[in-house]
Amino acid sequence: MSLIRPLTISRLCIKNHGILYTAVRNHWNKDFKPGEFPKTPEQRALAAEKYQLVSEDYKPYPNDGSGLGDYPDLPMESGESKDPFYPWDNPELKRNFNEPLHADVDMIGEDRYDVTARHRVPVWLQYVQFFAWMGGAFVLYYIADKMKWFLAAAEKQYPRNGKHYTFEPKEE
Amino acid sequence: MGNGFGHVPSNGWEHYRHPEITPGPNEKPTFDTDLGFPNGRKERVMVATEEEMRSAKLALKDRDYCAHLLLEFRSCRRENWPWVVKCQHEKHAYLNCQYDDFLLRMKEYERERRLRVRQQRQGIEAA
Repeated sequence: MSLIRPLTISRLCIKNHGILYTAVRNHWNKDFKPGEFPKTPEQRALAAEKYQLVSEDYKPYPNDGSGLGDYPDLPMESGESKDPFYPWDNPELKRNFNEPLHADVDMIGEDRYDVTARHRVPVWLQYVQFFAWMGGAFVLYYIADKMKWFLAAAEKQYPRNGKHYTFEPKEE
Repeated sequence: MGNGFGHVPSNGWEHYRHPEITPGPNEKPTFDTDLGFPNGRKERVMVATEEEMRSAKLALKDRDYCAHLLLEFRSCRRENWPWVVKCQHEKHAYLNCQYDDFLLRMKEYERERRLRVRQQRQGIEAA
């Protein structure tokens, strides 16, 4: 019963219930929203400090209406290309404590798309190989389609399609 | 023509190269059925009647000249189930009939082909 008691309704209503209090007071959508696009150098410095970057590294996304505001344009680096032997604070995500996340972090994780991949075969050659293979197969199909193999047999004989004859001559 | 499947690819090639003398697959013969038979040919006999086939709900594709054997085979299976091996004779008879049916179709094909060659040759001689 002692396991259940902290979860009773009355306990959840107490103001200093840690989880509920934090969730309600500090994690509204407005808290995830980036700030205004920085226009003056002072605003830039403030934004860099907010995202815990040195001001030389801080570069916001272009103010073109994408809604990213002052969020920093971090280098595109997939989890695959990050050093697995570096002593990350969070080795599962290869991320350090308070390290700013890329805006597309949901896409470039180790379990997702690898944007920094270096292919053994360049991409243009992959396209060439694909179309050469498919095109070659299509050409072979196009040629072979004109001379389809078939068993040498006339149409199937059904009594409903009229009279049919054996190859024995009639005796008269 | 060849005995095995050797004629299968050559059919495709000949049909592509000489379509005027090579009939295609499953084509209806075009020449007079009695050509070359002074007294005519024996007609194929259909044993099963339309009513029999209809009451047995025989599929349209099975209503060929072997239908009576198929009906026998199916009724035998029904009577002897699950000892269907007792119907081996009926099954053998049905499959043999299908074999002979296909043989006739192959003969019709070859007759059609040879008659087309002959027609072409006569046309060349007449010209």
